[in-house]
Amino acid sequence: METNNQQQQQQGAQAQSGPYPVAGAGGSAGAGAGAPPPFQHLLQQQQQQLQMFWSYQRQEIEHVNDFKNHQLPLARIKKIMKADEDVRMISAEAPILFAKACELFILELTIRSWLHAEENKRRTLQKNDIAAAITRTDIFDFLVDIVPRDEIKDDAALVGATASGVPYYYPPIGQPAGMMIGRPAVDPATGVYVQPPSQAWQSVWQSAAEDASYGTGGAGAQRSLDGQS
Amino acid sequence: MAESDNESGGHTGNASGSNELSGCREQDRFLPIANVSRIMKKALPANAKISKEAKETVQECVSEFISFITGEASDKCQKEKRKTINGDDLLWAMTTLGFEDYVDPLKIYLHKYREMEGEKTAMMGRPHERDEGYGHGHGHATPMMTMMMGHQPQHQHQHQHQGHVYGSGSASSARTR
Repeated sequence: METNNQQQQQQGAQAQSGPYPVAGAGGSAGAGAGAPPPFQHLLQQQQQQLQMFWSYQRQEIEHVNDFKNHQLPLARIKKIMKADEDVRMISAEAPILFAKACELFILELTIRSWLHAEENKRRTLQKNDIAAAITRTDIFDFLVDIVPRDEIKDDAALVGATASGVPYYYPPIGQPAGMMIGRPAVDPATGVYVQPPSQAWQSVWQSAAEDASYGTGGAGAQRSLDGQS
Repeated sequence: MAESDNESGGHTGNASGSNELSGCREQDRFLPIANVSRIMKKALPANAKISKEAKETVQECVSEFISFITGEASDKCQKEKRKTINGDDLLWAMTTLGFEDYVDPLKIYLHKYREMEGEKTAMMGRPHERDEGYGHGHGHATPMMTMMMGHQPQHQHQHQHQGHVYGSGSASSARTR
């Protein structure tokens, strides 16, 4: 569809300020404090993490050779598919493909949820983190009914100090569809943006993908390896 | 966690109203929480914890994801007067519903799977698939799939060197544990 999405993402990852308009930062500044640079840096950081995730997935799947051991039971997937009465016959490859698709889905949803937990300085992933990820991500719109609004309100309460000034929901500004970035963490006391301590989980990806390196250069290298540009 | 496949068949029309049925039926609506939890941990740092509520929420989200994609793929099959949902239909549905990022890696995955199945079929000399009969009409599975596979090139951008690919699945044996 839109190959432009990839280029926009790449430019977004490499450009320092282009894709993030000052208006966005200005909106946050309404809370009383906050400078554009930390805000933009945080957005770039989160975007890079997701890009690393997708690059890693492509590399991992390139080397897959075992279709017998799945992370998810095929029979159960088939059963869920057939819960729809309109679904008649399912080819053998469909549940196998879904097993991998669901794994990617769980991973992406969990990563986006964890970003929210970090913003709130927690190390336990909670239901409201998942609710936040669903609210912030376009492609997860179909899930809004699964998490009650109470969960979203809870999150607003957690950042009560800035609730009036900082909008909970950030519309996708200059981002490809489905690439909404979460709200940055704000220290209520000083109003300064706090960088979430993401080093811990990044090491998971870096150790798993030995060639992966953090940073714009690394992302660029991976991108060229993928032969996308 | 032992997986039981004894409940297969029979209640194929089990809808979301299964809340009124027994606990087993309720459990069937979701993927096992242990499997979901294990995958979630792969996306988190080692010192992170996951609340039970979070695990259960993701369980529900995954089932919704499967139904969401399947529904779109099923609609496409009906419009095209086809009865069997295949991998390409799912990839098309994901693209339509905004999951473009998923399609590239999954295309590679599906291609590799079909290659492997092709080799297996060649070694066997003839199609002999115990689990080929997904869904209804077992007697029609083979000719239908053969006919379908013959149309595969229309949906793919890359050439496939073999004209016949039979899916073996072995769903009942291909389990994590």
